[in-house]
Amino acid sequence: MTGTVNLREVILGILMEVTEQEAYSHIALRDTLDKYQYLPKRDRAFVSRVTEGTLENLIQIDYIIECFSKVPIHNMKPLIRNLLRMSIYQLKYMDSVPDSAVVNEAVRIAQKRGFYNLKGFVNGVLRAAAREMDHIAYPSPKDDPVEYLSVSYSMPQWILHKWLGQFSFEEVERMCDSFRDESPVTLRLRTNRVSKEEIIASLREEGCEVWQHPYLDYAVRISGFNYLQALTAFRQGWIYVQDVSSMLVAEIAAPNWGDYCIDVCAAPGGKSIHLADKLKGSGYVEARDKSEDKVNLIQGNIDRLGMINMVAALRDATVFDQDSFHKADIVLCDVPCSGLGVIGKKQDIRYRMNPTRQEELIRIQRRILSVSQNYVKPGGVLIYSTCTIGADENQLNLKYFLENYPFRLESIDPYIPEQLRCRTSAGGYLQLLPGTHLTDGFFLARLKRNHE
Amino acid sequence: MALRKIREYGDEILTKKCREVREMTPRLKELVKDMLETMYQAEGVGLAAPQVGVLKRIVVIDIGEGPITLVNPKIVEQDGEQEGSEGCLSVPGKAGMVVRPNHVIVEGFDADMNPVTVEGEELLARALCHELDHLDGIVYVSLVKGELYDTDVEEEETEEEQ
Repeated sequence: MTGTVNLREVILGILMEVTEQEAYSHIALRDTLDKYQYLPKRDRAFVSRVTEGTLENLIQIDYIIECFSKVPIHNMKPLIRNLLRMSIYQLKYMDSVPDSAVVNEAVRIAQKRGFYNLKGFVNGVLRAAAREMDHIAYPSPKDDPVEYLSVSYSMPQWILHKWLGQFSFEEVERMCDSFRDESPVTLRLRTNRVSKEEIIASLREEGCEVWQHPYLDYAVRISGFNYLQALTAFRQGWIYVQDVSSMLVAEIAAPNWGDYCIDVCAAPGGKSIHLADKLKGSGYVEARDKSEDKVNLIQGNIDRLGMINMVAALRDATVFDQDSFHKADIVLCDVPCSGLGVIGKKQDIRYRMNPTRQEELIRIQRRILSVSQNYVKPGGVLIYSTCTIGADENQLNLKYFLENYPFRLESIDPYIPEQLRCRTSAGGYLQLLPGTHLTDGFFLARLKRNHE
Repeated sequence: MALRKIREYGDEILTKKCREVREMTPRLKELVKDMLETMYQAEGVGLAAPQVGVLKRIVVIDIGEGPITLVNPKIVEQDGEQEGSEGCLSVPGKAGMVVRPNHVIVEGFDADMNPVTVEGEELLARALCHELDHLDGIVYVSLVKGELYDTDVEEEETEEEQ
């Protein structure tokens, strides 16, 4: 008989790629599962669960390992470090796997991978952890709130320091907590051609459960589908997968009949399409992005939905385009950002981002703002948005922008649902926080260009 | 010691019933050693004598917990059920889903003809059943639920949007 695939070695391979070589976890996982397509569904589910679970709880798992190891986690051999991590995840979070199986497998793999001399170490750490798992002393929220949040929710301390300087402890804990929840799929119902009732009826007919989202009448959350692209409503172009926070961008842009709009970082095109929908076939939305792949992605969506008042264009938002000078009624600057608002959807963002990379992003964001503001005609509007949380990439960029360019913030209260109105929204911007709001973490602001 | 040639599916010898070993001869001892070497070299977890062209009731197994040699083995007890992917060194590049008992007890003799009992669960139970089937001319291909599939072909999965 041939040797069967050792699932734990498969998982270890993915973890090594993600934690040691900075591979994207969803891509590494997908590529691996592709390779082992013949594995039964149960085995594939095990690989996904342990890989995702280990990465989601990485900081907490490392804390647990260091409770039982004299060697700090960062001094361990990478293979041993990741072997311990995935084993601790199974010990703590998977009751269905017997502790002895976890420990024995880990020892066997260590030996097989040439770490014969570390067999005892792996065995010792994991046996102690299995025995003491329920008696581990975790940091307390009173004595050390940062350490507590970091270990409980596996959130890097530098992010927590920044957030706690700006939001209350409760708000930050609610955010961290909501990142762990399965994020629901939200749809924008495109009601130009078919009524909302007809779309919902079609979704329900194909087995979906549908809930009205409280913020926007045309937004619903759905579950119960196997493959979204197979739904009639998707194939007909009646729905677009989009978080409500992204839908608010077109809401606060509030285009008028015939407006010319430029979306400078548009891929995959969701916000542009929403704007074009709101223009009801009038006007013109130019959806730009900087790479051919991204433009193709936008073009694919334009073709699929049969948009007539929208075009995809290959243009780098950091490079000035003379032809667009003072031309646009509306410019969308949905800039590349650290993405800390969508950690719930992309778990490894938090480990990938660091203060240096964030600095670099802020430089790009300001460059895009300073280039794009040229395109706004006097009296026109620039919408600034990010899918991140925190002043550095949001309020501080607004401050920089207002100090340098002839724009002023304009209240967004007329355009947003009552539940979201607050002091800052009256002032012209809004920071959405997951856990507090029923959206991803997101920031949006409406800036109006002065009439000379 | 030497590597032996592994017979592949389609070779008539794999369909034949093997004979009991009456006594352990130096030649058969050599065979057992060669079978182990051949199995390890092919990265298998089990090999039966007919797979190297010898119609004797001898199998070797190592699922990663050390070598087991069984002469004249018989399943004396089996229970439970497991469904899983299975492949065979005589059917390279393929695998298929096979239902096997989850727990078996096998009696037989070791390479020195001392009586032994081997008890196995999960992978070991599967390997015992698979190798013992070879001794009766059964290749797992006839037991596969659904179809055989390739184990080295990579196919693309369509990516979900957003």
